[in-house]
Amino acid sequence: MSQFRAKKLDIATIPKIRNLRDHTKRKVYAENEPERQALRYIIRNTTFPQRVRAQAQLQLAQMHCYTRFTQIKNRCVLGGRGRGVFSDFRLGRYQFRINALAGYLPGVKKASW
Amino acid sequence: MSVARDRILALMRTQCSIFNTTYNPQRLRLGSRILHQRLKGPSVAEYYPPRIGAISQLRKLYPKYDILDEKEEDWVEHLNVAKSRGKENPKKKKTAAESKKFTRKR
Repeated sequence: MSQFRAKKLDIATIPKIRNLRDHTKRKVYAENEPERQALRYIIRNTTFPQRVRAQAQLQLAQMHCYTRFTQIKNRCVLGGRGRGVFSDFRLGRYQFRINALAGYLPGVKKASW
Repeated sequence: MSVARDRILALMRTQCSIFNTTYNPQRLRLGSRILHQRLKGPSVAEYYPPRIGAISQLRKLYPKYDILDEKEEDWVEHLNVAKSRGKENPKKKKTAAESKKFTRKR
């Protein structure tokens, strides 16, 4: 699937391969989203002839898997972790803790009561 | 007291014209739901911060200025030192006969 990958590094974070892959998938998805939505529209519209809808179904199924939204996963921007990621900060739980304690995340404060 | 159907249809039509939806009294599956969905691609694609301010980019943007790359300079200096001590990379072999010399030794 490296045919989609950018020839030069285009993200500012530490280039872990999983992050690069996810970034590539995101770009491919954004590029192909209108086409996918158009095909989905044809499939869902019952007023179109059955043949046209079946063809659209086939075409949608034959699109590359990178054009699918389900391939995209929110990963930690700094460490590439796939689990325990705070989507608001795009950080894994440990990176979040380190950065929050260092005061790099505005508005985040350690709770104590 | 029941309301006449044509009154209800008229109400639906005005509702559709006001809220910009499809007038569909037969409730056919028209797929307009999908056309109403916003495209989330652009926001999805900008999850990772873009790489800006790299030295190659700066050089391209400001060709008039001389931009120093410390890492590159260190590397070039290291290469020059190695060259002066005779530890440079071997020359590229041009012909098949030259490259065979290494294989014969084994």
